[in-house]
Amino acid sequence: MSDYFEYTLDKFTFYVPKDRYYNPEGLWAKADGDRVTVGVTDFFQQHNGDVAFAEVEAEGTAISANKEFATIESIKVDLELPCPVSGVIEVVNERLDLEAEIINQDPYGAGWLAVIKAADWAGDQAKLMTPEAYFEHMIRQAEEETKGL
Amino acid sequence: MKPKIVVVPCSGIGKTYGTVSREAAYEVIEDLRPETSQLVALSMLVLGDENARAAVAASPAITIDGCKLACATKMVQESGGQVAQDFAVLDVYRRHRQLKPRGIAELNEGGLQLARVLAEEVSAEIDHLQGGADA
Repeated sequence: MSDYFEYTLDKFTFYVPKDRYYNPEGLWAKADGDRVTVGVTDFFQQHNGDVAFAEVEAEGTAISANKEFATIESIKVDLELPCPVSGVIEVVNERLDLEAEIINQDPYGAGWLAVIKAADWAGDQAKLMTPEAYFEHMIRQAEEETKGL
Repeated sequence: MKPKIVVVPCSGIGKTYGTVSREAAYEVIEDLRPETSQLVALSMLVLGDENARAAVAASPAITIDGCKLACATKMVQESGGQVAQDFAVLDVYRRHRQLKPRGIAELNEGGLQLARVLAEEVSAEIDHLQGGADA
């Protein structure tokens, strides 16, 4: 059985791993105990285009779920990203400073944004979307996008 | 006399970075290195135009891509040409963050300046390929 869901629309194929949780804006959260790694989804990165710059709040910053914790500037848009969990930013992916393109190249791996020491992972997890729910949400978003073309 | 270096910019219509790539190419061809460079339209390569294919076959090409799809670079290669250097607008912008491009039909000041920086880099590469500066 595959480790991810896969959806192809026109020339685009989007992947959604089954081992993490998601918010509707296209950020994922993957927990290891109370340490939660966060990043953006494959659909997010393909939809918004090549990333020029990515900036995350400094390590040690306390953040609340759904509040802005990072910004991304792509060739298409400037975006403020809502954090999927509450807690304290423990580690910021330092590669983003010089290699923001890794968000496009490997959004679920090397392109992670930050590791957050979660204040209440169980509570946040309950409010996030399961992989199945996000996959359905993403399909609706993708199909909605193509209607305008 | 050495053949003119071919410059092939992105043809992305409705894309800011595509506009920057074309603006940079025009600046090279018309102002900075008119004697040693020539423009080949990506669309003509896509159509398989004989003159365009002959131009890229006869001379090294410099491509300017607006995004990671790198259509200009791929199309020159598929047309039998040799890409001597490929430039990406995004790479140049990352080195000059203060020059944030905006606009499509008309670039903002940042976009125009970014195109100028890119054009100067392309011109330097043309000089390198030609073995000397354009007098």
